Amino acid sequence: MRNPLGWAALTLFSLLFFAFIYAPLFVIVGYSFNANPVNMMIWEGFTLDWYTGLFGLTERSMDANSRAAYIESTDQMLAALRNSLFVAVFTTTIATVMGTATAIALARFRFRGRRLYDGFLMLPMMMPDIVLGIGLLIFFVTLGMQLSLLTIIIGHCTFLTSYVFIIVQARMAGLDPALEEASADLGASEWVTLRKVLLPQLAPGIMGGALLAFVISMDDLVITYFVSGTGDTTLPVFIFGMIRRGVKPEINAIATLLILASVAIAALGLWLRSRKTD
Amino acid sequence: MRRQSVILGLLLGPVTLFLGVFFLLPLLIIALFSVLTPGLYGGVEWAFYHWNYGRVFGWADGITEIYEPVYLSILFRSLGFAAMTVGICLLLCYPVAFWVSRLPQRWRLVFLFLITLPFFSSLIVRLYAWLLILKPSGLLNGVLMATGLVEAPLEILYTPAAVVLGMVYVMIPFMFLPLYGAIDNLDRAQVEASLDLGATRVQTFVKVMLPQTLPGIMGGAVIVFIPSVGNFIVPDVLGGAKGLMIGNLVEQQFLSARNWPFGAALSMIIMSVVLVVLLTAVTRARKRSDTR
Repeated sequence: MRNPLGWAALTLFSLLFFAFIYAPLFVIVGYSFNANPVNMMIWEGFTLDWYTGLFGLTERSMDANSRAAYIESTDQMLAALRNSLFVAVFTTTIATVMGTATAIALARFRFRGRRLYDGFLMLPMMMPDIVLGIGLLIFFVTLGMQLSLLTIIIGHCTFLTSYVFIIVQARMAGLDPALEEASADLGASEWVTLRKVLLPQLAPGIMGGALLAFVISMDDLVITYFVSGTGDTTLPVFIFGMIRRGVKPEINAIATLLILASVAIAALGLWLRSRKTD
Repeated sequence: MRRQSVILGLLLGPVTLFLGVFFLLPLLIIALFSVLTPGLYGGVEWAFYHWNYGRVFGWADGITEIYEPVYLSILFRSLGFAAMTVGICLLLCYPVAFWVSRLPQRWRLVFLFLITLPFFSSLIVRLYAWLLILKPSGLLNGVLMATGLVEAPLEILYTPAAVVLGMVYVMIPFMFLPLYGAIDNLDRAQVEASLDLGATRVQTFVKVMLPQTLPGIMGGAVIVFIPSVGNFIVPDVLGGAKGLMIGNLVEQQFLSARNWPFGAALSMIIMSVVLVVLLTAVTRARKRSDTR
């Protein structure tokens, strides 16, 4: 940059940009410690009540009725978290296997319609989630399938397979096929070549794809919203419902914990990537 | 050779079956439902019915269904909001992507990490944060009033501006990364040459930088536009009646009005907008790479 003044202005603009991105997250973290139960905008002092309350440990005095309602909603939230984890684990497993298999097939086999297939796999990613969500809803209801965690897992796999595919495909493109050919020439079966030669080289890509699938599955709101049964909500759908019903201070505590979890996961991803380049 | 096709079948069979049944079939079912007759109590009757589209585009006869111009205006509003989201994301991200690409390696990685981090944190949580900030009693108004900049709280929440703000906020990483890729690949020697040969900064930007980074701009625009058109979460949380988008209409048809065929017709409209945008982008990108 030849113009120091211009560069300074650009730097200022950029730092404001990053402040714009991060300020909202800090706002939530700040309010999650605010003791004011009625108007959370007015600072009343530091408290951990909303955190202890999440796990039914709150010591705030309340009558038996509201306490029961309180514990019930806490139970619902923890159930939603369990559902989210359950769905994410299964979705990640299925989507990773299917996405990896597809990436290997498209990179190592020549067959008719290969390019068409390549484009077809982009579609679930590009399709607006509301369209996919209602398509699946009509489909399940028409077939008479009960909406449950299973239908949520199916819904997530439809588009997350494509995400895994893209990431593994990128890794695949950087590999040297000569290694696999050598393995085959030396008498290894396809299975042994896959296990001992191909998969170890693909591992960082597969891990990256799986991590991405897990994160997106945990966070998916729209598709889950349409294909979840009444009893089986996930955490994002639960929080969405809470926001619609009216904001309670506990949301700040949940949100803060989610932000912390996402920072941890992102750091894990970064660490995996730095290991790959070593 | 035979063995090879067995292996190919094993690798591609499951995914083909899965996406065929749970992706293609549901899309076809939407198309089918969009021309079925809505039943009296939320069901459907298996008879052809084109008024679902007539209600939106204006050929309703006024007896079976009534043409309601509000649907078209909501469609155009959704397209407008999505276009504004793309434009604002672009204006915000382009200078910052340029700035990041000129930083020393270490800082570049730090800021790239900071851009991707929000992508890992929950979408609904990030929107909720804006709800806290924009509320009449919220942080923004608190600060504005405490500093004496405004007398009464600004009504920002539940306006179209809040919806566009929310969409810009959640879409920024999707615009930034393709843009950064293009700007990072920029041939700096050409920029220098242009300046050395006497072109002004504006000329250099328009004639050298913009054409070279156009693929990144187009990529980011498509990736931001598509999820924005059908978005219903952002308008639901931050928008009021004036911020309603076509995604909200679809959601209402399925979960409260229970008119599934009409909802299916509305999603067909969203889907066709998306396909047109995608096809245009792909053919233009292909043409560009051919002429090069």
